[in-house]
Amino acid sequence: MSPSQDETETARRLREAIARQFGRSLHIRTLDTGSCAVCEQEIRLLSAPHYDLHRLGFFFTPAPRHADLLLVTGPAIRAFDVAARKTYEAMPGPKVVVATGACALGGVYPADPFVHGNVGEVLPIDVWIPGCPPSPLALLQGLGVAVGRLAEKTPGLTFIAADPMGSET
Amino acid sequence: MPLWFARGLRRGVVTTRYPARPDESAASLPTPPAFRPDRLTREAADRLVAVCPSRALERRDDLLVFDVGACTACGRCARAAPSAVNASEEFELATTDRSALIKKIPIRGDA
Repeated sequence: MSPSQDETETARRLREAIARQFGRSLHIRTLDTGSCAVCEQEIRLLSAPHYDLHRLGFFFTPAPRHADLLLVTGPAIRAFDVAARKTYEAMPGPKVVVATGACALGGVYPADPFVHGNVGEVLPIDVWIPGCPPSPLALLQGLGVAVGRLAEKTPGLTFIAADPMGSET
Repeated sequence: MPLWFARGLRRGVVTTRYPARPDESAASLPTPPAFRPDRLTREAADRLVAVCPSRALERRDDLLVFDVGACTACGRCARAAPSAVNASEEFELATTDRSALIKKIPIRGDA
């Protein structure tokens, strides 16, 4: 069943209200579901002076109970299902879940008895950030998209290279 | 007095938005590939699919389906077919819609 006009409008208003509430103080909890730790290296770089995510009002928190946003990395190993679910449930609403890196997006590991191979199987994902690993710049853009401050670029990209000679139709 | 400190005092602004200005380090990032439909043949596309380690590519008849979310920007496809593939130089790829990351590239090269 597709949403009615009223429901779409309500969803849009809710989204804006949530973005306003997050304002310039958004607390991030990272969750590693079996990543190789390179995504974590890039996430750690966000607090380095060059990227300085605190200037944008993003902060890391060690406790899911204080977090507004869950930054999930790794291919969602099955042994971690309970922990992932508990982390998500411990967060107060409204909450945003961001899948980070090619593993989390379903690229690297196929589903097998050990991994789901896609974080979307375990948690409801709001924003997907591709990259292996996503650079700190890509992460910042992803966080901006997650709180509605930046527009997405992806729908407009084709990944078709222009012909330098211009002979392509 | 360090230069950045003096500059900060003069400007009176301590924080900037993202992106305040294009980041010069962005040019050195590995990025997902962009394809040249006129240089892609079915055989070349099959070769690219075989060489991709993260299953980001799949050929459906005359379409090369590219899952940008699965791509690790390893560059193997660009090395396998340098004339048909180069770096897209796009890295700000975050999206709220997973299916927006799946791109369809037409295969128009002569076999």
